[in-house]
Amino acid sequence: MLKLHNLSRSYQTDNIETMALDNVNIEIKKGEFVAIMGPSGCGKSTLLNTIGMLDNPSAGDYIFAGENVAGYSEKQLSEIRKKSIGFIFQNFNLIDELTVQENIELALIYHKIPAAERKQRVEKVMDKVGIAHRAKHLPNQLSGGQQQRVAVARAVVGDQPMILADEPTGNLDSAHGQEVMEMLQQLNAEGTTIVMVTHSPAHADYARRTIHLFDGHVVNENVRAA
Amino acid sequence: MFRNYLITAWRNIIKNGIFSVINIFGLAVGLMSCILIMLFVRQEIGFDSWLTDSDRLVRMHTSYSMPNRDKFETVRSAGSMMPAIRDYAKNEVETGVRFIQFGITVRKGEDAFAEQATMVDSSFFSLFDLPFVQGSKTSSFNKPMDLIITERLALKYFGRTDVIGETLTICCVSDNTSEVAITGVIKNLPDETHLNTEMIVRLQPLLFSEDDGTLHTWTSLNVYTYFKLKPNVTMEQFQQRIDYWMDNESPLRDMFDNNETVTDFVQQRLMPVPDLHLNAKQHAGNMGDLTPMGDSNMIRTFIVVAGLVLLIACINFMNLSTAKASKRAREVAMRKVLGASRTQVALQFLGEAIAIVILSLMFALVAVEIVLPLYNELLGKTLELRLFSDPALLLSLLLVAILVGLGAGMYPAFYLSKFLPGQILKSTKSVESKSSTKMRSLLVVFQFSISIILVISTLVVYGQTVFSNNINVGYQSDNKLVLNVRPARENLASLKQELLSLPEISSVVYSSEAPTQDDENNNYFKLLETHSDGTANEQVLLNYHNMDFGFFEAYKVTPIAGRLFDENYGSDEINLVPENSSEPGKGSVILNETALKELGFTSAEQAIGKTLAHEVRGKQHLTIVGVIPDIYFRSIKFDVRPTAYTLNPTRLRAASLTFSTDDISSLLNKIELIWKRNVPMQPIELEFLSEMMKAQYNDEVTTAQLFLVFSLLAVVIACLGLYGLSAFTVERRTKEIGIRKVMGASVRDIVSLLIWQFSKPVAIANILAWPIAAYAMLSWLESFPYRLSELWLIPICLGVGLLSLIIAWSTVGGNAAKVARKNPIKALRYE
Ligand SMILES: Nc1ncnc2c1ncn2[C@@H]1O[C@H](COP(=O)(O)OP(=O)(O)O)[C@@H](O)[C@H]1O
Ligand SMILES: [Mg+2]
Repeated sequence: MLKLHNLSRSYQTDNIETMALDNVNIEIKKGEFVAIMGPSGCGKSTLLNTIGMLDNPSAGDYIFAGENVAGYSEKQLSEIRKKSIGFIFQNFNLIDELTVQENIELALIYHKIPAAERKQRVEKVMDKVGIAHRAKHLPNQLSGGQQQRVAVARAVVGDQPMILADEPTGNLDSAHGQEVMEMLQQLNAEGTTIVMVTHSPAHADYARRTIHLFDGHVVNENVRAA
Repeated sequence: MFRNYLITAWRNIIKNGIFSVINIFGLAVGLMSCILIMLFVRQEIGFDSWLTDSDRLVRMHTSYSMPNRDKFETVRSAGSMMPAIRDYAKNEVETGVRFIQFGITVRKGEDAFAEQATMVDSSFFSLFDLPFVQGSKTSSFNKPMDLIITERLALKYFGRTDVIGETLTICCVSDNTSEVAITGVIKNLPDETHLNTEMIVRLQPLLFSEDDGTLHTWTSLNVYTYFKLKPNVTMEQFQQRIDYWMDNESPLRDMFDNNETVTDFVQQRLMPVPDLHLNAKQHAGNMGDLTPMGDSNMIRTFIVVAGLVLLIACINFMNLSTAKASKRAREVAMRKVLGASRTQVALQFLGEAIAIVILSLMFALVAVEIVLPLYNELLGKTLELRLFSDPALLLSLLLVAILVGLGAGMYPAFYLSKFLPGQILKSTKSVESKSSTKMRSLLVVFQFSISIILVISTLVVYGQTVFSNNINVGYQSDNKLVLNVRPARENLASLKQELLSLPEISSVVYSSEAPTQDDENNNYFKLLETHSDGTANEQVLLNYHNMDFGFFEAYKVTPIAGRLFDENYGSDEINLVPENSSEPGKGSVILNETALKELGFTSAEQAIGKTLAHEVRGKQHLTIVGVIPDIYFRSIKFDVRPTAYTLNPTRLRAASLTFSTDDISSLLNKIELIWKRNVPMQPIELEFLSEMMKAQYNDEVTTAQLFLVFSLLAVVIACLGLYGLSAFTVERRTKEIGIRKVMGASVRDIVSLLIWQFSKPVAIANILAWPIAAYAMLSWLESFPYRLSELWLIPICLGVGLLSLIIAWSTVGGNAAKVARKNPIKALRYE
């Protein structure tokens, strides 16, 4: 599905160069469930954003579905991203002014999908994540677990083959965290590739493969037997 | 504590950067507009109130409303009225004075200068206590030939002001030159007066050329009449006294039947002298006054415009302060936690608002100083900002600043002080409520509605002046010079001959008036033949002009029936007969189409050969030889009147010269040389007809230009506000935009989302503004008999609408594009 080859990402702030990712080589196959772990500031989010094409690598290659997208323009990346990748964030990132339903629909609005079909698909995913009874509520009227379920729904409604989740359980209590993990597991079982950043070894256990990052380097990789 | 407030206020101004600049700049421009307009308004409404006892000075105007005749109004009166009324109303009136304004020629060495003289009764200085520089009102003006001049004239003729005893060589209307000794010098009159007195002489028959009947008439309206009321007498009391006298005792009583009330037909109306400049227009009919009359409607309009511009700036302030409020919520909460009451917090914000307004006021004053010369040039005025020698102005400006500060600061202060500390300190979310966002949109709609109304009005006013300037006046006005030949009465033939010998000049024609010169010559004409349907012929009031052969040909006017005046017929020229002659004088007359209708003809051909009876110093029977189309002899601000054109060589006062040349100045020199040879010792008065025509619309053009300037300023301020608001919105919506981008929104999607948010209020503003502007402008246009078609309002409204949207887009677009291009992860990373 994707392959990072000698990929680096550095940030320049006040003459200090931070190597957020340093010569990273990772390959992720279609249908995998990968967890990324490591201490704060080691580059996990940078890695995920790079994979999600929200960020550009400073050096190295990024082969996505057979194309090297490292040098692509923002517009080209946005097209690929739209088709292929859904996102879930630690802080949910729902739009406060939009209802649950509208927030989910947002993932379809920019895909030129007719309104009727959008409505149908949104209703379907709302059922799936069990938030249908809150369709008309605003995000700040929901609990954290409910908000994250909305975010999951938004990530899957577009039917993209890959979902990137940056600490999806970071702001949730353990019960709600587990709920989200089970949803991700279910999605993976249905064929969606999932790459997830987490601090929780328990949640990492849902993944078949765990990549450990330290200071921008991949230091270790475990593959759990099936 | 106060210091603490000052510090917070100052830091906020600095911290808010662009928002402070927008607030201060907008308010400064708003205040500048206000100050500029107020300087103008103050001068306009301050006319003549500086005169001693100005509240006791009144002028008497005359209006005639005779049955079957057009109402006739003028600010002048009949010469016999003043002494009669003064002597009758002894209890009400202290004294009265009459003016006759007349042009004279002053000679100095080889040069001749045209000056305006004011001939007045000896009581003049008892009413108008003008300050003397040399002499005094008691010593300088008590003998028949006493002459008072202004400092300006003294300097012009003698280079100094102590000129008592010096003589001026004056050539009066009656051609005889006399040496008159100067007996006093007065200060120059300020701009703020309706008087235009530079040279004051006593009313005396000696100075009249034709007859002194002007002073001894009850019906010929030639003099300006003023009265000074006794203390504690109101104008209304005096008016009642005059009306009683008119109805019961005046000689006019004899002109009417016993059962008729004189004042139903002839009114002598009073007006306080300080009101003359702005209100004389209401009594003036089509006639002028001593100086150009002001326009109270225009003054009112400009006051409204000034207020609106300021209001738009205040709205910016309110909008940006409340928008920024969420950022200051924490400060408010902390102050409250530390014990501040809501009132204290509100006062703090009000104080900040007033501080900002005062800062803006200082910038505004500097700006006024900078633009004042330009403004004066535009208005043709000499307004000054004398801040420190004028405590009233300074105080009123401070008052305005405080009022504006209160007006603009009240809502934000109320809004900000409302925050409950618990709520704010606990939450990390923005405290921005839906209602305050709505309020801001409403205010933006309001701002833009006002701006759009102003711009549409400006365009209509402008359109009307363009229309007036380009209307087909019905005659050829290009390449014409108009020469005043009044002083050349004896030399018309030689003058014409010499002028025609210039190769540049193709024709020279004489007439009583040139186009645009309108003397209100009206007279009664009666058709002698009865109409075929037997309708009785009434006397009809026609405007009339005299001319020499060739006039219409020179102006390229062709008859629609009959012919123009033609020397070969030998019968066109009026042969004048003495007043008591039984045999009428004969001659020809040409009518315009309106006169044709007025006389009851249904076709032009019908009129040819018919006879009009007419009486000016002797009876005349005039044969209608031709009918011409209506031509706009005077400003199209007025209707074309029914007009009769006759051929009377004794009444020629203007020469129209048709020329063609590339070297205007050499032509003008040649004409002047010929003038000097033929009419020695008389100043030449030569003007381009095109400029005389333009001058008719000077007022409208000035109004249009002022309107344009102030409505553009309004638009600029409104756009600044919109810019600030969009910058703020974009800041507030950064996270949302980031999310949308992650969801696949393109830069274009984001930009159009934001632009739409700001187009909506502007579009609504248009929909609100159009009908209001259209209604206002349609009623304004109604005062013009010839006006821009109403249909023009459609493209103007649509054009302004589109323009307002484009302006809004380009204002918002920059901010929108900036945020749309931002990498979304930055927005999502940090909350
Ligand atoms: N926009 C940025 N500008 C500068 N430095 C950044 C930026 N984003 C991340 N970094 C730095 O890159 C490193 C990796 O950050 P990040 O990927 O967010 O770590 P993690 O998600 O593992 O906590 C950190 O040292 C961080 O300070
Ligand atoms: Mg992170």
